[in-house]
Amino acid sequence: MLTNRSRTAVLVFLLPPLGLYLVAVVGPILHSLVLSFFEWDGLSAMTFVGLDNYRQMLFDDDIFWKATGHGLVYLAVSLFFQLVVALLLANLLTYVRRGRELVKTAYLLPAIVSTVAIALMFRRIYSLEPLGLVNAALGAVGLDGLQRPWLSDLDTVLVAVSAPEGWRFAGLYMLILYAALIAVPKELEEAARLDGASEWRIFTQIRFPYIRPVFLTTAIMAATYSLRGFDIPYLLTNGGPGHASELLTTYMYKTAFTSTNFGYASTLSVFIVLQCVVAVLLIGLVRRSGRYAS
Amino acid sequence: MKYTRWGLALLLALALTACGGASGTGNTDPTKVSGDIEPRAISWLLSRPADGAVITTVQDIAADYGKEHPGFSLELITTPDRPSYLQKLETLATAKKLPEFFDTDATPFADKLRARGDMVDVEKLLDELGMLDDYRPLALDYQRFDDGGLFLMPFEFELEAFWFNTKLFDKAGIDVPETLDDLVDTCGPLRDAGVVPIALDGQDQWPLERYMSYYPFRTAGPDYVKELKKGEASITDEPGRQAAGWIHDLGQAGCFPDGFSSTGYTDARDLFTTGKAAIYQIGTWELPTFLGDLPPATAGAIDYFTLPTTDGAVTDPNEFTVVSGIGTAINSRTFDPLVKDFVTYLLEEYPKRYAAQGRFSSTTNVETAAPESGSELFDKVVAQMDDLGDQTAMPWDTQLDPTSNSRLQQELTLLAQGETTPDEFLATVDETISENAPKYFE
Repeated sequence: MLTNRSRTAVLVFLLPPLGLYLVAVVGPILHSLVLSFFEWDGLSAMTFVGLDNYRQMLFDDDIFWKATGHGLVYLAVSLFFQLVVALLLANLLTYVRRGRELVKTAYLLPAIVSTVAIALMFRRIYSLEPLGLVNAALGAVGLDGLQRPWLSDLDTVLVAVSAPEGWRFAGLYMLILYAALIAVPKELEEAARLDGASEWRIFTQIRFPYIRPVFLTTAIMAATYSLRGFDIPYLLTNGGPGHASELLTTYMYKTAFTSTNFGYASTLSVFIVLQCVVAVLLIGLVRRSGRYAS
Repeated sequence: MKYTRWGLALLLALALTACGGASGTGNTDPTKVSGDIEPRAISWLLSRPADGAVITTVQDIAADYGKEHPGFSLELITTPDRPSYLQKLETLATAKKLPEFFDTDATPFADKLRARGDMVDVEKLLDELGMLDDYRPLALDYQRFDDGGLFLMPFEFELEAFWFNTKLFDKAGIDVPETLDDLVDTCGPLRDAGVVPIALDGQDQWPLERYMSYYPFRTAGPDYVKELKKGEASITDEPGRQAAGWIHDLGQAGCFPDGFSSTGYTDARDLFTTGKAAIYQIGTWELPTFLGDLPPATAGAIDYFTLPTTDGAVTDPNEFTVVSGIGTAINSRTFDPLVKDFVTYLLEEYPKRYAAQGRFSSTTNVETAAPESGSELFDKVVAQMDDLGDQTAMPWDTQLDPTSNSRLQQELTLLAQGETTPDEFLATVDETISENAPKYFE
């Protein structure tokens, strides 16, 4: 139980960040919500259109649904790298005895490289004319038939723009998961080994259940970051060719700043916020059910 | 209840903030501005290369003006990447916080700014200064809005051509194409010779959109796009149909590099200058590159041909895309005796200093400095500049409403890649223009 004095101190310390949060996060979201009921090009007077923008988004806009579907693929690819690959690497790292710091630094490096540099690098890596790294590697091992312009091929472009985002932060999440893994009590693992448990069983029945809360927090971070992924796809393909790699974020940006349709762009942004909230709630549910189960 | 009331109040406050901003307009008539000059710092929002000739020339002139007017300074805020620039411009325009000068094409969005009274009438200004007749008519026409209003100043003059590598043409055994359909036919022999026929910056999308404008310009003239953008003509009409078919044919003939949609500006240029591509459609702003040090594959082997014609063309061979670059508007809200005096000095000084750098001025009263060693290519371009027709193929990206333009660009890539048929392309674009043009040009 806090004393009155402590309660005041808590309030004094909490109010500034809360105020900042209201101004910097809640304010713009509410602003977008208001704008989503208007038609506005930024210059002319705003026209109140009620739910028209929402009706158009849900029932008349083929690009919106395409972009929503693409967002899920983007999310899946990013999470594959950021959770599955990161967890695998983190687990492997616990077995490494020498050069562990070097490995950690090497994997973390992409997270601190500028987005523009990453986009430029991947544009070269995927290129066919001139021959990029991926196609050159395929050619070197005799798989010439698989060579293609990865960013122009409608069948590959979405995965091709998603992979750099996943690759970029895989090292960061690997570090977080690694920190959780080394906190697993060694005596538990040793007892299991003495009982003849395989490394796989140790991982699935001791390590993973132990780091589950950290893994779910990581999942929330990775999912919300991926749902609002924008920069790499925008720089690599600008949503193209056609709308083959269009995400809701790139579509929203273009609607606002290319089409100058700020009202409709706000409607899209409200949907993105809702999507993130739903994702967090879903992960929260998984977390709660796991807690009750254990 | 209390919270609901607070919530409503917050929403209302936000809505009012959104609607608010400075009210009133500035003085769009430059002849009405006179008085004492009070030097101060002014700004220019540009979308031009930071080390380009326009910026360096303006910087020199501003420095000289500042010497005579202590307290004056000109801050040049440049964002060469066009989409980023437009975002900045739109945000500032929305907040009515545009600086003294800002760059824009004569787009429908800019026309709205003009309608709001944000731009000084440049025609009246040039007329008052006695400079109107110094300008090339094509340079001014490029900057005009649909009703002929001139509210943008040109600072460049460039023609767009198809630059080609003569060695690669010889290797493939082909001649310069005379018609647009001949251009398609050159691609097969060039591919057989192991070279990319046409280098194309697909990432920026406007270069491919130029190709879309060519057939209609030749067969229907410059008015087609002006009618199309307002929904008075349809993309499914014969000129649009021919254009879509031609782009599809170019794609099917392998004219563009594989994966062109993710090729950037410099990559496309490098493909040509390193001798890997035979043709490159670009403006004379790249002439210094072609006259500079080049690899053996292209050194001394660059020539150009202008827009090929078509059967039954209504425009002359000497009429094609001629641009005077992104224009510059003068903000009427900040237009005062100082800005007027500076812009007068700038317009007087600019042409000669710009031409001295080997660039083509929008005016006819100066001569462009030739390369020291001389160049046949340069002489050919200069002669071409003096032999231009009266009409120009306006780039479609400056004409269509932004939503239709964006959709057309995206669909055009698919058409050139062979992912959609001309009919599918036409149907999609027609629907988009029908839906958006009336709203935008009402």
